[in-house]
Amino acid sequence: MNHPQWILVAATLLGAVAMWLLLPRVRDRGWPLGIVLGAIGLGLLASQMPRIGHWTTDSVFLVLAAVTVVAAVATVTFRNPVYSAIWFGLSLLGTAGLFLVQGAAFLAVATVIVYAGAILVTFLFLLMLADPQGRAYYDRIGWETSLSAFAGAVIVGILSMTTISVLTNPSDQLAAAAATDQQRAEGVLGEYPIAGLGSALFGTHLIAVEVAGALLLAALVGAAAIVAHGRVKPPPEIPEKGDPAAARQTGQEAAGDGEPASPTRTHAAAEHRR
Amino acid sequence: MFSIPTLLVLVPALPLAATLATAALGKKVLREQSHWPAVAGIGLSFLAALLLLFQVRAAVAQADAGPVRIGYEEVVRLWTWANVEGAGGMEPGSPGPSPPRQIALMDFAVEVALRADPLTAVMLVTVTFVSFLVAVYSIGYMHEDPGYWRFFAYIALFVFSMTMLVSVSNFLMLYIFWEAVGLCSYLLIGFWYQKPEAAAAGKKAFLVNRIGDFGFALGVFLIWTTYGTLNFHDTIHDTGLTTMGVLGQSRLAEPGLFVAGGIATAICLLLLLGACGKSAQFPLHVWLPDAMEGPTPVSALIHAATMVTAGIYMIARCAPLFHASGDAFQAVALIGGFTALLASAIAVTQTDLKRILAYSTISQLGYMFLGLGAGTLPGITAGMFHLFTHAFFKALLFLGAGSVMHAMGGVIDIRRFGGLRHRMPTTHWTFLIGCLALAAFPGFSGFFSKDEILVALHENSLDGPSPALYHILYLAASATAFLTAFYTFRAFILTFYGPERIPHEAGDHAHESPNSMTLPLVILAIFSAFVGAWFFFTHGFSEFLAHTPSLAYPAMHTEEAAHAPSVHAGVMVASALVAVAGIGLAWLLYLRWPKTVDRLTAAMDAVGLYRLSFGKFYIDQAYHVLVVRPLAGLAWASYWFDRYVVDGLVDLIGLAPRGAGAVLRSLQSGMVQFYALAMVLGVLVLIVALLV
Amino acid sequence: MIEHELNLLTNFLVVGALLFGIGLIGFLTRRNMIIMFLSAEMMLQGVSVSLVAWGRYFNDLDGQILVIFIIAVAACEAALALALILMLFQRRGNLDIALWHDLRESNLPPYVDHELPEIPPYQSGPWPTLTPAGRRPDLPQQETDYRSHV
Repeated sequence: MNHPQWILVAATLLGAVAMWLLLPRVRDRGWPLGIVLGAIGLGLLASQMPRIGHWTTDSVFLVLAAVTVVAAVATVTFRNPVYSAIWFGLSLLGTAGLFLVQGAAFLAVATVIVYAGAILVTFLFLLMLADPQGRAYYDRIGWETSLSAFAGAVIVGILSMTTISVLTNPSDQLAAAAATDQQRAEGVLGEYPIAGLGSALFGTHLIAVEVAGALLLAALVGAAAIVAHGRVKPPPEIPEKGDPAAARQTGQEAAGDGEPASPTRTHAAAEHRR
Repeated sequence: MFSIPTLLVLVPALPLAATLATAALGKKVLREQSHWPAVAGIGLSFLAALLLLFQVRAAVAQADAGPVRIGYEEVVRLWTWANVEGAGGMEPGSPGPSPPRQIALMDFAVEVALRADPLTAVMLVTVTFVSFLVAVYSIGYMHEDPGYWRFFAYIALFVFSMTMLVSVSNFLMLYIFWEAVGLCSYLLIGFWYQKPEAAAAGKKAFLVNRIGDFGFALGVFLIWTTYGTLNFHDTIHDTGLTTMGVLGQSRLAEPGLFVAGGIATAICLLLLLGACGKSAQFPLHVWLPDAMEGPTPVSALIHAATMVTAGIYMIARCAPLFHASGDAFQAVALIGGFTALLASAIAVTQTDLKRILAYSTISQLGYMFLGLGAGTLPGITAGMFHLFTHAFFKALLFLGAGSVMHAMGGVIDIRRFGGLRHRMPTTHWTFLIGCLALAAFPGFSGFFSKDEILVALHENSLDGPSPALYHILYLAASATAFLTAFYTFRAFILTFYGPERIPHEAGDHAHESPNSMTLPLVILAIFSAFVGAWFFFTHGFSEFLAHTPSLAYPAMHTEEAAHAPSVHAGVMVASALVAVAGIGLAWLLYLRWPKTVDRLTAAMDAVGLYRLSFGKFYIDQAYHVLVVRPLAGLAWASYWFDRYVVDGLVDLIGLAPRGAGAVLRSLQSGMVQFYALAMVLGVLVLIVALLV
Repeated sequence: MIEHELNLLTNFLVVGALLFGIGLIGFLTRRNMIIMFLSAEMMLQGVSVSLVAWGRYFNDLDGQILVIFIIAVAACEAALALALILMLFQRRGNLDIALWHDLRESNLPPYVDHELPEIPPYQSGPWPTLTPAGRRPDLPQQETDYRSHV
């Protein structure tokens, strides 16, 4: 192995340790170290990336990529789900910016409107309904944190290494398959890119659009049906104390009343579960 | 109007159509009228067989004038059922001196071919005629039976199988229909399958026959490896070459083309084993008396007149093979003579009317074997002649016994009824004729056919390969004739004479049977009385049969000239005296001095003879101890081994995945994230494996 | 300018991989069902970024069209997932995915956390109140410049 690949390996391992430190665990100490290590890892990775072109392009891209990735890390590591959701919104904005860099203006707008505007807000509604304070025990505990962080980091590392090594020395086939700037100027980067997208979408892919529309309708009906028929009636009697299931039922009753679940009761339920 | 091929196909096709029609429509549509397809089909089949017989006769007469042929035959090839090219590994030229026209074409070609020759024609007429009468009789006898349609479907199926058996021209097809008649026999013995005895008897018949069939199958295999074909007839190929059939014209025409020596004897003994099974000869005779559990028409048709003669037919058909062996005919004669004597000795003391008739059937079949075993043309034709006459009078006797049974409410024990001659006059008279025929009273058909057999034996004892043996067999046959006359009239007198006794089961039922039952009795009685004399004095039967290729062979290639069976006055007088003596003894003992019977019985019992005969010489018991018990023990041991050792091993193997499952079960935690993590790790492993 | 396009593709693919990986880690570790869902969406975003990059490289609009379909499917998924999560929350009273393992083997005991995290003490602050119309709300100082909760 040569030098740059060792750097990528180091970046991967650093990323894995950083994610492990940042993720919620029972004893979550060391997150500041995680931030430092993560930053170093990302920096190492960035150092191995080829420059795109002019420094302005590079800096715009780097800023957007950094925002996207950091916001993504924050999304999965923040204890309070409300913050997670907001960080996810930021990550989406960064993605939208990346789409703009690529010349996919319509997608940038669609991502912001559909994801950040609709889906994410709906999730925030639900979060507010369920647990607005972010003090639930399950937000402060992870599942197989170390193994998962390692696995994810290794996948990213392998993908990055492969991508870099393949694309810095592209095969003739891959290079020949690339479009010329002339073609691109008449295609994806054309004068009216959104018009081109629309004509392709409602021309070549018309049936797929219809199917997607049917899928959306089905999802709408399905969601309504789940909510309408999935309700459970409250239990007829108050369960005995000390029963874990009973403790959960109690919590559910509290939620069913429309009040926010009291943190003490949730914690009490968690204590019963020990 | 009808050519021989058409008739030959029609004879089996009509009963088959009747079977299919009855089976398809009997239960729902025909119901009480289920007999019509079978009766019509078999009746038309009989007419076709009769026409065929006349046409064959005409053809035989013409063939006599033609160039040298061995007898007369006409083979109708329908289609080739199976053809495995180059199946055999016989080197060209073998066996024996091979004429140039025989080529080493060892294709395993099973031709579905029917043949018409005198032997087949006679058998076809006999079978269809008796079957037709029995079918008519069954209309009355089986009336109101819940399985009415089933019965007629089986009967028609049997007639189809039997007519095919006697007309096919291939050993494999012969074997197939050999099994088919066995199947019909099994189905009809166990017709009342709710009755445990009937089910057991059916099973016994099937299993005992299986032993014989196994021998037959081995014999067929040996024929294939020896002769390289299973067809009876010659096959002429497009190339102009000829594959010699086992019993084909070209092989029969020249002496020395049959394999001799040990292989020939082996083939013949294996075929003889098959014949013993089907024709109920010692040591495989035990199934026939038990087969009387079936409906009486079945006993008359299958177990007296037709199916049991399949063995006789087969040996007659294969006579050249037996000739080639040399010793095999003596084995046939020995088995026949022993069986005849044994069965008649058992029949003397039996009390079940149908069983007496069953043992007499075995005994008479033994007689036919004796005739065949003489090995000469007169002997073989005498055996076939006896088969022919026996079919009539034995069917008559069985149907008469069925009529008695019908009237007595199912009781068949001759100690429980008597003096029925006034109540059942038609049955009485016809039964008397049947008894006279069976007892070989002079003038009745049984007398002439039996006499021909005795003459053939007597001639062999005068000049033949082993005169001493045939002399002993001649004496045994005479003793059998005496016993036959005695037990036949014992049963007859106990049934129809003496004080009138009627069992209570009969109720007010004890009267003459309906017309559909008595009419066949009368017809059969007429034939039983006169058919023997007619053919004896015209010599028509044996002369006609002598034109069968298989039977013409010995006449052509041995020193003895083909001559009509000689009338030997001494033998004839002796056998007449023996028959009259037997009848007279029965008459004296059972009608005049009934007390003496008891005393005689007691005296015999003192030395164990009576008990031995009454117990059927304890052959069943011996088989039970010597064969059934050890086999059952072996089966039990095998069961134990299979249950505990083999299954134990299998269970042990089965435990391995179970154990692995028990370990891996703990992985099924139901946690979504656990599964997702497992998937990711799996993907990781795959990626690493791809990259490294 | 093939170099430029190749480098652009490389960078975007690595960013896509990062988004995908981070989303994967989040999906595997977080026990809040909503966060898991967000993580899954993040994986989709990573794929979308890669698709757009490839589409640009090959000058093929199908990459972008596929992303549009991804967004549509994600919307369906969101609708159904929200409804399901709401149902599950109503039944058990919290969003812990670990409570839902009824499909485990029958001989396995239910999952129990052996160790639970310290939860910082609840710092109760004043909840927002509405002042009747027509009156000027008098907000306390604490309320105007700090909120302990959203």
